[in-house]
Amino acid sequence: MSVVEQAPERGEEAQGLIGARVRRREDGRMVTGAARYVADVELPRCCEAAFVRSTVAHARIAAVDVEAARAAPGVLAVLTAAELAAVRPLADLLEIESIKTPRPPLATDRVRYVGEPIVAVIAEDRYAAEDAAELVVVDYEELEPVLDVDVAIARGPLLHDHVPENVYFRSEFRSGGAEEAFAGADLVVARTLRVNRQLASSMETRGVVAQAEPDGLLTVWLSSQAPFQQRYLFALALGLPESRIRVVVPDVGGAFGPKDFVFPEDLCVAHAALTLGRPVRWIEDRQENLMAGSHSKEQKLTVELAFADDGRLLAMRGRFVGDTGAFAYSAPAGLVDVMFTAQSLPGPYVVPAYDYDVLGVLTNKTPVAPYRGVGITAAQTARELLLDEAAERLGIDRVELRRRNLLGDEPTRSITGQEYDGGSYRTSLERALERIDWGGFPARQAAARAEGRHLGIGVSPFIEGTSLGTMAQLQSGFPMPSHDHAWAAVDLTGTVAVGVPTCNHGQGHATAFAQVAAEVLGVGVDDVRVVERDTESSPWGMGTYASRSAVFGGGAVLKAARLLRERILRVASLLLEAPPEALALEDGFVGIAGVPDARIPLAGIAGAAHFDPGVRAALGDAGLRVGVFHDAPPAYSNGCIAVEVEVDVELGTVRLLRTVAVEDCGTMLNPTIVEGQVRGGLVQGIGAALLEHAVYDDDGQPLTTTYMDYLVPRSSDVSAIEVDHVVTPSPRTLGGMKGMAEGSSIATPAAVLNAVADALSPYGFRVERLPLGPHAVWEGLRSGRAG
Amino acid sequence: MSTRVPIRLSVNGRAHELEVEPRLLLVHLLRDQLGLTGTHVGCDTSNCGACTVHLDGEAVKSCTVLAVQADAAEVTTIEGLTGGDGLHPLQAAFWEDHALQCGYCTPGMIMAAADLLARNPDPSEEEIRHGLEGNLCRCTGYHNIVRAVRDAAAELRAREAGARTTEVV
Repeated sequence: MSVVEQAPERGEEAQGLIGARVRRREDGRMVTGAARYVADVELPRCCEAAFVRSTVAHARIAAVDVEAARAAPGVLAVLTAAELAAVRPLADLLEIESIKTPRPPLATDRVRYVGEPIVAVIAEDRYAAEDAAELVVVDYEELEPVLDVDVAIARGPLLHDHVPENVYFRSEFRSGGAEEAFAGADLVVARTLRVNRQLASSMETRGVVAQAEPDGLLTVWLSSQAPFQQRYLFALALGLPESRIRVVVPDVGGAFGPKDFVFPEDLCVAHAALTLGRPVRWIEDRQENLMAGSHSKEQKLTVELAFADDGRLLAMRGRFVGDTGAFAYSAPAGLVDVMFTAQSLPGPYVVPAYDYDVLGVLTNKTPVAPYRGVGITAAQTARELLLDEAAERLGIDRVELRRRNLLGDEPTRSITGQEYDGGSYRTSLERALERIDWGGFPARQAAARAEGRHLGIGVSPFIEGTSLGTMAQLQSGFPMPSHDHAWAAVDLTGTVAVGVPTCNHGQGHATAFAQVAAEVLGVGVDDVRVVERDTESSPWGMGTYASRSAVFGGGAVLKAARLLRERILRVASLLLEAPPEALALEDGFVGIAGVPDARIPLAGIAGAAHFDPGVRAALGDAGLRVGVFHDAPPAYSNGCIAVEVEVDVELGTVRLLRTVAVEDCGTMLNPTIVEGQVRGGLVQGIGAALLEHAVYDDDGQPLTTTYMDYLVPRSSDVSAIEVDHVVTPSPRTLGGMKGMAEGSSIATPAAVLNAVADALSPYGFRVERLPLGPHAVWEGLRSGRAG
Repeated sequence: MSTRVPIRLSVNGRAHELEVEPRLLLVHLLRDQLGLTGTHVGCDTSNCGACTVHLDGEAVKSCTVLAVQADAAEVTTIEGLTGGDGLHPLQAAFWEDHALQCGYCTPGMIMAAADLLARNPDPSEEEIRHGLEGNLCRCTGYHNIVRAVRDAAAELRAREAGARTTEVV
């Protein structure tokens, strides 16, 4: 089914563990119910929080009456903004020109979206906390809500008095030559899309448990992607030194982006733990999650493409207006989404000229956070829809049009200044076409049409920025420094531990990074322990987001393990009285090549390094524990998604007939894990295209606050997914890894939407609305017919 | 809310006598009072299935069952699926086929799949997809879950056939 076409790049390591399909080591506890998520953290005398949230989209708070709640049974504390005055508001730390909208942990005199926390009730258990929360009376003086970015800019009202036009961020880019190119073009195609508001919606919601020790240490258990960034944010907000805060991340039930920042509820819980002297926990329920957790991806974008009549793409133009919600308070908030859209619009194509404008706009909705494929999905969707339209209008086959404009496979620099490290842009497209039998589709489509059935096919080649370090962050348009470490050590029994800067939340790091260390150090995967997700024991790192872990975690482990290997060989060289280059490290022993009896187990090497004064002196202070810093240059995975669908023109429903993903993420650490990520992202992309939509009514009331209304794909909504690989190791990153996990979610919506449009081409159907649920299909059919 | 109701139930083969609040949910009884945290809460509205357990042999969503409704019943959770000896074929197949990533939906998914296989020992891909549509997974895209259920079904059928052969002999 899935084929590894080329062996991953090999360094001096020869065991073949990097790139092997090793069964995940973390799964034993997960299939037996023994995994421990934040809701499973059990502490003596732990109490629970519940929040009173705004029931209106926009209002002044005239009064908050908490007296009855304070007197309710089991209540330990009722916190309002007044009680939290000492906690500093959350604000992004980005060094960009934007108007900051810091948000207090609890609303002060105004609420700006339904679900905004106003009061925190701490009680003996959640039942008592919720009972008491119901007794809180909030007196609102309602204000007009703003729910549309155009209205927000044109007439408001203002959400924050210091943000004119509700625009907190603007950016523009002019490459030069775009205007002339558009003026002289043979064809210009344009589309305005409103990207559906979506939610990452991990199966585990947010959750936090905080405990203050008598010695002053605050321990925070957090469902998280980035514990070190969060520790720093806790420190800033609570006014504590970092040394007094420990963030521990238990097993995490999925994240997909939003769990890399501190939320208001987290600060309330930490504050309560510090002041009550008892552990406090808050586990978000699903309604809170869908209403007020974090939203993502909504923007209004207009994209134009200019072509010569031979199909050459001459220029692009884009205007991207992000609907950020009520606060742009987190570093990865709304502008990340639209900046990524703007920067990634060129994708895997040659684009000679490009102009864009980006705006970040505030509305009375739940604030946004990053979600898989941040911004890039919108760019990909708009661009690929327009490529299909242009092909039709130019009378050029739509695959041929893409071939004529695709980048060559060598490293290049995009017009937006992104340093692509080369890939298989062309090969991946051809492979996907082959896999889905693109050539045979016209016959399938014709046969189906003869039966009154509507088949369509779509293809979507992508490029995915994955190595989000200092340089890539700079090139993405919002500079943010990056910093990651790893350590590696051998213990007295000869086993290995590696500390990694990432934060596994389903990606199998305990397996994949052990494979890397085991290969370099000549031990078994089970002899390597991966230490992660605890600010006390793991090395400082940015965490796991933006598909960066293979590059930063894998790269850092590779670097640390190679350094450790050198040290091991140095010790062995002293003990065996042989030069290091004559030594071989394998199966847990160091030996002299060709001398069967001259070998020492790793335990012996570690013992000497720990206790033998001569060896210790020769080795210096560090012994057999090494630490390394790692930053990485930008890297870009690529691939291609192709889907074949059948549309029911009576019901407006879309059925997936064939789904193919081709992925090139450079060196793979574990292809099984890679394929899992590809399939998971792909199905989220299907959700984005056909199902998922966080809807507000005209008063700003969220209408999609359960899984009955917010539709994430079910098993019966999707079908089998074929995955194929091309392997083009990055020439720039350590080990050739590029990182992956978002490409399929980026590219799938476009493939699905183009397939639906293809199926409905007899009706003149055009994708104007997202998602393309049955109603949108039906409306599109009606307007197409009318047109 | 001080009225408490006495209930007796068996959980994973162990008898319990408890006094519970009438509104206590079965999932909270299992997690908070019996410490069986393998059963997860994902949605509170019986859409996601993370809380799926067996009640008298049938899969139920324990976030929408009151503890008092489980009076006199036999409850099986993920922790009791095998009765303590190794892995159930579903657990083994989920592991082998990479049918989980974050693992949060996994216990409920396995319990729902066990119920499906008890009713239909040889389900088609289509039947598995429909049989599990009440259990959401956000990580895997379901592909490997479907594969794992098929593999486990084959293993269970092979065991059954083996057992029958042994009986005949």
